[in-house]
Amino acid sequence: MTIPGSWYLTLAAVLFGIGGLGLLVRRNVLVMFMCVELMLNAVNLTFVTYARMLHDVGGQALVFFVLVVAAAEVVVGLGVIVGLFRRRPDATADDFHILKG
Amino acid sequence: MAVIAGALAIPHISYISILPELIAMGAPMVMLLWSATTRSGGPGRWTAFTVVASVAAFLASVEIWVKVGTHPYTAVAGAILVDRFSAFLSGIFAVAMGLFALLAHDWAVREDESGPELPALGMLSASGAMLMAAAGDLVVVFLGLEIMSIALYVMAAMNRRRLASGEAALKYFVLGAFSSAIFLYGIALTYGATGTTNIARIASYLASNVVVSNGVLLAGMAMLIVGLGFKVAAVPFHTWSPDVYQGSPSPVTAFMSAVAKAAGFAALVRVLMEAMGTLRLDWQPAIYVLAVLSLVVGGILTVVQRDVKRMLAYSSISHAGFVLAALQSASAAGRSALAYYVAAYTLMIIGSFAVAGHVGGPGDRSQDLSSYRGLSSRHPAVGFAFTILLLGQAGAPFTTGFLAKFYVVSAAVGNGSYTLAVVAMLSAVVTAFFYLRIVLGLYGSEEPSTPEGPPGVLEPQPALVGSVGEPQASHGAEERGSVVVPEVLVAASATQVIEVSEVGAGTSVVLALCAAATVVLGVWPSPLLDLAKAATIIF
Amino acid sequence: MEQYLGVFVLIVLGALFAALSFTASRLLGPSKPTVAKRAPYECGIVPNLEPVQRFPVRFYLVAMIFIIFDIEVVFLYPWAVIYSQLRLFGLAEMVVFAAAVVVAFAYLVSNGALDWGPRKRIQPTVSYERTAETTLRRLPPGGRAA
Repeated sequence: MTIPGSWYLTLAAVLFGIGGLGLLVRRNVLVMFMCVELMLNAVNLTFVTYARMLHDVGGQALVFFVLVVAAAEVVVGLGVIVGLFRRRPDATADDFHILKG
Repeated sequence: MAVIAGALAIPHISYISILPELIAMGAPMVMLLWSATTRSGGPGRWTAFTVVASVAAFLASVEIWVKVGTHPYTAVAGAILVDRFSAFLSGIFAVAMGLFALLAHDWAVREDESGPELPALGMLSASGAMLMAAAGDLVVVFLGLEIMSIALYVMAAMNRRRLASGEAALKYFVLGAFSSAIFLYGIALTYGATGTTNIARIASYLASNVVVSNGVLLAGMAMLIVGLGFKVAAVPFHTWSPDVYQGSPSPVTAFMSAVAKAAGFAALVRVLMEAMGTLRLDWQPAIYVLAVLSLVVGGILTVVQRDVKRMLAYSSISHAGFVLAALQSASAAGRSALAYYVAAYTLMIIGSFAVAGHVGGPGDRSQDLSSYRGLSSRHPAVGFAFTILLLGQAGAPFTTGFLAKFYVVSAAVGNGSYTLAVVAMLSAVVTAFFYLRIVLGLYGSEEPSTPEGPPGVLEPQPALVGSVGEPQASHGAEERGSVVVPEVLVAASATQVIEVSEVGAGTSVVLALCAAATVVLGVWPSPLLDLAKAATIIF
Repeated sequence: MEQYLGVFVLIVLGALFAALSFTASRLLGPSKPTVAKRAPYECGIVPNLEPVQRFPVRFYLVAMIFIIFDIEVVFLYPWAVIYSQLRLFGLAEMVVFAAAVVVAFAYLVSNGALDWGPRKRIQPTVSYERTAETTLRRLPPGGRAA
């Protein structure tokens, strides 16, 4: 007996939810980045699971693209952070108050 | 990988049908290589190169438009849709790219930046937007979205000396990455429900299978809408946009507000109208709510702002409401209204932020409403162009803005959404108040030109007179030779005035083009309108 | 589900053992804490400086460059699997892809992103126009206390 696909889908949904919630409540910018990664990897899991369930290799190929995009996104985000925190002491989102909102 | 068995069909790639994208992607590569090999020279060469590339991309779009006619086809194994809609938007993005290069030139000269990064990133971003408009596959939509957004994150952070720029980039990045992830999850769920990510195949699957209360599919659709709703800054997904628009360098704001929104709407058309056209009864109410909220919130919050870039941000939220109203009607009239609105809006908003970039001065510091006072007497041409652009955004007759709003409202009425039409008209009236307030400031409150005392003393609202506006005013008055200004004041403001009062060549060209297009196409509407209709006739 | 039974048993056993060890040591062991015992290291040099919190930006830069070039390789694997079927088309596509990566690399190198080691341009820390007059701070008569 194998684990049904819906379990993986549920796991992915839970991971995606954790990532999304973490992004909204955590104040540390680096942790927020990790939450984005968690969300994207949850989507990857969903893609792979569906590809398996549908017997379609396309879903697995998509994961490559998502991986590369996620890496590019994180690098740019880190670049922005590094640029910003050369002039700032700490990495919390609450410190940003020049622009209100 | 056992699925790939036997001979593999090598996809036939028609390079001519993705030529605008190839130009917009290849040109930055050439520029980076060029900058790596030669070190001397200012930003002029990058600007010239980018403008040439933009013209080439525009011509390529025209070529596709003419060639494809009324027979759309797919290219690159179904990943790219070649039709007049994609050609129309590629053309818009090529124009936006060129205008951005001109604005970025003035910015680079003023901020003493000589690198190719800003125009190169602008072109890459535009190539992503073109991909989104031409996408035949949800994954291509995602890739285009990311190419566009990642370049925009960096562009927002371009002003390294200004803290607000980095802060804007970080906010844009966090919320942008969040929305991308949501959009991607929407793709995954749609893939799970329909078995494909190809837009045409999703449409045929949905047409041939009756989907009754398919939760996964509807959840996927909702997430696609939310993800793109962030990109077009529709309420309630708009919270990032005022901050990001305010903090980014003005040319970047101009580009971002024009291209990112237009690309988001193009993707919404592809996803909702083409792929999920049969589910319109499910997505129409959602778009309806987004449209009403954007119109109301954007309209009301525009009026209470004092920072002009924030005002323009909120007004562009209300513009997004109009475009969503056109999308909501899901009719032929709605589609052509959408295309027309996007084209008109692009030119008006780029021109408006060009003025903001000029008035803001070094580091985009002075964006307060008081900085715009008496602009018309300092620079009559700039003031006049800004007036035209603002009136166009307000929807004054004989401008493209009026026609755009008119077509949207008539599309909403044609669809039976009378409430939405009324809300749209009320929102137009409310935002018109804001535009008129700026316009009156441009002309109405003449600078103090009395020789009795230093300027600023006679201002009715002394609190509003910034330290930058004051010396400017004195110099402006002195320039006209009509008054005697104390020597000390002129000397103190000499350096500032030189930076602030010269209108850059690029900004002048952009303003002239945008204002002229807004009026000429408003008085003589048939060319652009015919184009917009032809662009959306086939779906 | 039977195939996972062993894993479950192992997890349960492991958790039980860990819980048992901790409770046993807490219950049975004597507890007489002193300041020295509470220190992170009970022997060696007492840390009186906080470790450096912030790494030089250069580390982040290299890490970022590594991530982005590293992940590009992921496209080579599926390409390599079907390379023989793609023939010339596959080769041309991969050359274009590699060219894009090389351009980015050339840009990075030309901007000095990979210059490791000491800075090439060492700024003089003290200006040459420095004199005793500009360096020394004159104190008022009566010294610092005044």
